[in-house]
Amino acid sequence: MSLGPLVFLSPWLLAGLLVLPVLWWLLRATPPAPRHLKFPAVRLLLRLHDPEKIADKTPLWLLLLRMLALAAAIVAFADPVLDPDPQAEGNGPLLVVMDGGWASAPDWAARVQAAEATLEQAARRGRPTVFVSLSRPLPQGAGLPFRDAGDWLAELRGLEPQPWAPDRAAFADWLAVRDGNFDTWWLTDGLSHDASGLAAVLVDRGAVQVVDTARSPLALLPLSTVEGRLSTTVAGVPEPADRALSLKVFGTAPNGTPVALARADALLEAGETSVTVPFDMPLELRNRTTRVVLEGSASAASVALAGDGLRRRKVALIGAQVQEGSQLVSPLFYLQKALEPSVVLLRADLTDSLLAAPDVVILADVGTLSDSSASKLQAWVEQGGLLLRFAGPRLAASASGTRDDPLLPVRLRTGGRSLGGAMSWSTPKRLQPFAANSPFSGLPVPDDVTVSAQVVAQPAPDLAERTLAALEDGTPLVTARDLGKGRVVLFHVTANAEWSTLPLSGLFVQMLERLSVSSGGAGAPVDLAGRDWTPEQVLDGFGRLGPPENPVPVSGARLLEPVAADAPPGLYRAGEEVVAIDVLRADDRLETLDLPAGIRFGVLGERRAQAFKPPLLLMALSLLLLDILATLGVTGRLRNSGTMQALGLLALVSILPFGEARAGTDELALRAANETVLAYVRTGDPEVDRISAAGLRGLGLVLFRRTSIEPAAPIGVDVETDELGFFPLLYWPLTEGQKPLPPAASERVNRYLSSGGMILFDTRDAGQGVAGANTQALQRLTASLDIPPLEPVPQDHVLTRAFYLLQDFPGRWAKTPVWVEVSTPAPEGGRFANINDGVSPVIIGGNDWAAAWAVDADNRPMFPIGRGLAGNRQREMARRFGVNLVMYVMTGNYKSDQVHVPALLERLGE
Amino acid sequence: MAAPLHLRRDAEHLADPLPALLVAAKQLAANVSLGIHGCRQSGMGESFWQYRQALPGDAMSAIDWRRSARSDTVFIREREWEAAHTVAIWADNALSMDFRGSGETTKGARANLLALALSVLLDKGGERVAFPATIAADPRHGERHLQRIAQALSDVSAERPEYGTAPDLPPLKPATTVLFSDFLGPDDQVFPALERAAKACHCGYLVRILDPQEESFPFDGRVVFESMGGGVSFETHRARALQEAYRARLAERTERLRDFAQRTGWHMLDHRSGESAQPVLLALFSGIGGRE
Repeated sequence: MSLGPLVFLSPWLLAGLLVLPVLWWLLRATPPAPRHLKFPAVRLLLRLHDPEKIADKTPLWLLLLRMLALAAAIVAFADPVLDPDPQAEGNGPLLVVMDGGWASAPDWAARVQAAEATLEQAARRGRPTVFVSLSRPLPQGAGLPFRDAGDWLAELRGLEPQPWAPDRAAFADWLAVRDGNFDTWWLTDGLSHDASGLAAVLVDRGAVQVVDTARSPLALLPLSTVEGRLSTTVAGVPEPADRALSLKVFGTAPNGTPVALARADALLEAGETSVTVPFDMPLELRNRTTRVVLEGSASAASVALAGDGLRRRKVALIGAQVQEGSQLVSPLFYLQKALEPSVVLLRADLTDSLLAAPDVVILADVGTLSDSSASKLQAWVEQGGLLLRFAGPRLAASASGTRDDPLLPVRLRTGGRSLGGAMSWSTPKRLQPFAANSPFSGLPVPDDVTVSAQVVAQPAPDLAERTLAALEDGTPLVTARDLGKGRVVLFHVTANAEWSTLPLSGLFVQMLERLSVSSGGAGAPVDLAGRDWTPEQVLDGFGRLGPPENPVPVSGARLLEPVAADAPPGLYRAGEEVVAIDVLRADDRLETLDLPAGIRFGVLGERRAQAFKPPLLLMALSLLLLDILATLGVTGRLRNSGTMQALGLLALVSILPFGEARAGTDELALRAANETVLAYVRTGDPEVDRISAAGLRGLGLVLFRRTSIEPAAPIGVDVETDELGFFPLLYWPLTEGQKPLPPAASERVNRYLSSGGMILFDTRDAGQGVAGANTQALQRLTASLDIPPLEPVPQDHVLTRAFYLLQDFPGRWAKTPVWVEVSTPAPEGGRFANINDGVSPVIIGGNDWAAAWAVDADNRPMFPIGRGLAGNRQREMARRFGVNLVMYVMTGNYKSDQVHVPALLERLGE
Repeated sequence: MAAPLHLRRDAEHLADPLPALLVAAKQLAANVSLGIHGCRQSGMGESFWQYRQALPGDAMSAIDWRRSARSDTVFIREREWEAAHTVAIWADNALSMDFRGSGETTKGARANLLALALSVLLDKGGERVAFPATIAADPRHGERHLQRIAQALSDVSAERPEYGTAPDLPPLKPATTVLFSDFLGPDDQVFPALERAAKACHCGYLVRILDPQEESFPFDGRVVFESMGGGVSFETHRARALQEAYRARLAERTERLRDFAQRTGWHMLDHRSGESAQPVLLALFSGIGGRE
């Protein structure tokens, strides 16, 4: 039933309103009819004053109040809903269509719920229904497969979003060969997906209702390398407001576990359709990248996978073969050592290497090339390759440099020059600092890099701009020239240490890295066509990687097409090469779905906000409360002191909890501020909390006996509500159930950390392996905290000698590293640089210290540690760690200043 | 109202344990009818009173020769003056006496029972009983009179008022008057009638019979109280609130009745219809019989 936009979900309850007149009559007769009694002594009563006069009739306003309360309750239970989008009123056949593609994934639950509601409504009306997900295979068979709407519910609940775009064109074709008219309810994702003709087809068959969520989807385009940096493009449809984006780069840790490598924030400005987000990360990390994820939207398109093309460059090393004896001084050996960690080296002759499509070709002291090789090489460079050449005796001797060789950036003088030899007056030259526009700019130039021989460029007008690095006398050391899309770079020295010490220094590796990274054409797409690719891992609709259902090889030509069921997005392998196929291709853009006129368009999720049941019930309740007061007032009982006391009590009870809470906080503050108190964070797991309390109590006893710190009984705090500022040290045991902190709590903890507090995080899982669930909980927890860079406790850390001399920090477990803030001063502007006097704000470990410290009521250890004497020793060490820890917290770096004492004493003695 | 025979039976049963009742002759009444009531002075009677010396003027026949023969003087044997007393009894039979609260008997039934039991006792003692304004108005005694009394008490045919007032006493002044009523009538009717009765008889008993509910007023809620005939009504919304005031009014009425009794030398007895009739009958017995 509906009144305009107001819909009653349980309209039959409105029949209850018919009771109101009856109630009116009943309520009016509130004072009961009098009893008639025969009583001879009635004469004695005559002219007695009746002290309590009850009104014969309920006052009209009170009556209205009660009727209103009841009417409100009845209407509330009839579930009125203001529906800005009245459901299609028709009773004919209904087509329920879901896009069901990747763009539907972020709010999939809401979509399924909406579709359920629609199907249930259709079932109530008995409308024959067809339910179709456009991303799934369409039903076979002639005719429209109308069924009872309830039958489709099971199918709907089993549905998952698919990692490709809905195939609307195929659906339009499917509809075209099937007759029949119907109304349509279309749950769209709001994107055109290059096919907008469907709406028109649907309008021809009946009324169309299109529903979408308020949020438009975002998608990541494939990863690419821009100016040497890994970057991705976030595509969206124009929105009237800016959208903040957060991207995370995931990769593998050296031990193979997946970790987050980097993150970046970006802003998709209002009206823009895309923003390119670069990631600043070292090559080493970049090579380990497996995927980039757009946070906050779980869909296949919010994941950009990294294939081989991104990860490792192929570098062809070409040089003269040398005898075995001198292999260690061969230029190729130096290059090989420098490049091996980060690239794939190809060792073949030039022609074969070029067939393997290298990203970089390095020619080490190659003088002359055959014409065919040269032309092939030149063609390759012009296609975007990077040719890196090193000088040497052969190049110096060859005449090729004197001609205008396209494979050399500059013309060379024959023979080169040598500096600082036995027969020379000059000394080996050092390097000039790199110019700002050089790709090497910013690299520190070590003093010990000297050049004693080099090939010399012939002066030319453009020599200066082709020079990337020069010696201190201005002679070019590295020159480069663009050739086609590619580039040719020449080091004017050898790649071994014969002519200069450059290859011996770290600078050499850095320069190679810069050059290699900046090889713009390296991201050239892997040649897909012509090969069959087997899916290794595929994305599901929510962007999770998993094994493919049917790992059937897909032709490369198919992979160039948009992804679909026969070629899902994911990682494909052909031989050694792995290629990443993302949902969107690099040149795809998102476009809004254009709907023809005459289609009703609704937004999902707004309907629920307009349910009137809660406010109406609230109104009914408050009216009834008012009625109580009013009734008391009318009958004169409000003046009764007992009633007033009861009301006062009621009011007090409603206020009391707050009062108690306040009192509790004050008490906590008093206790914590009056004495030194060790505190632990309550985890919500009573057993863990009990151990924490017992552990800190045990540690307190040890401190009391051995040191001048005399802590009071430990306090458990709730980081979300309690004031943390009183506690020098928080012991925070991690449990699997640890949830990420809400922003306010994170802010509190960050403030605590930055204002001198210390938290000892204990994952307690050192006995169970490397990264247990608690460690993951720690990662979740600390994602929102300002944790400085960490390192395992160094040998000379203050923690090792704050009170006892310790080398390791066992708890119930031993032998796992304990992490503290990196002890070198934080970089300029770092948050923790000097605030904390160099005391690490966090200590992270997994040794379950509380269990080692814990004592029961009789001050006996609660948990066994190790076996026999060794166990006792370990417990003692754990206690000593606790003492050192508290000393470290209390005295800061006092102990590290002690190293200066002998010097100070000596000076005083003078 | 019980049938006369039942009333008689119950009254006999009630009176059974007590001896015959003679009205205490505290005052000499100008009543010439002979009875067995010794007047503690010489006069006409059957019982020996005293011997006295014959005085000139005494009749020769009055000389007791047997006594005189034992001495020199002549003695005259005097007899005690024996007279039958009349007791006037009124048992209120107004409508108000029909009230029965939670108990088994109405006030009227209790009044009748007491009245008849008293009559039986008096009759045994040879006294004469009169029920003014009834068919048993003449002071007589004997079995037939008792039957008449029972009939009079059982007679409900007459038109009855809401509240009873004491009847005027007969011209022959009774020695004692006993009034059984609830005395709940209007002040301006109850007390004038009592004054007249007091003038007519110096010795009297007011036996006020109330229902327990009339004493305790155990009502609550919204009630319309009506007199038994419906002539008077009063409505209250919360009867319990009136309890105090009602009890005060009742106490006031009691006090006034006591005042009246004290002033006139009468006696007042309170009786509740829910209680046993024995104590009040015993009190009357001992009061009237002068054996207090």
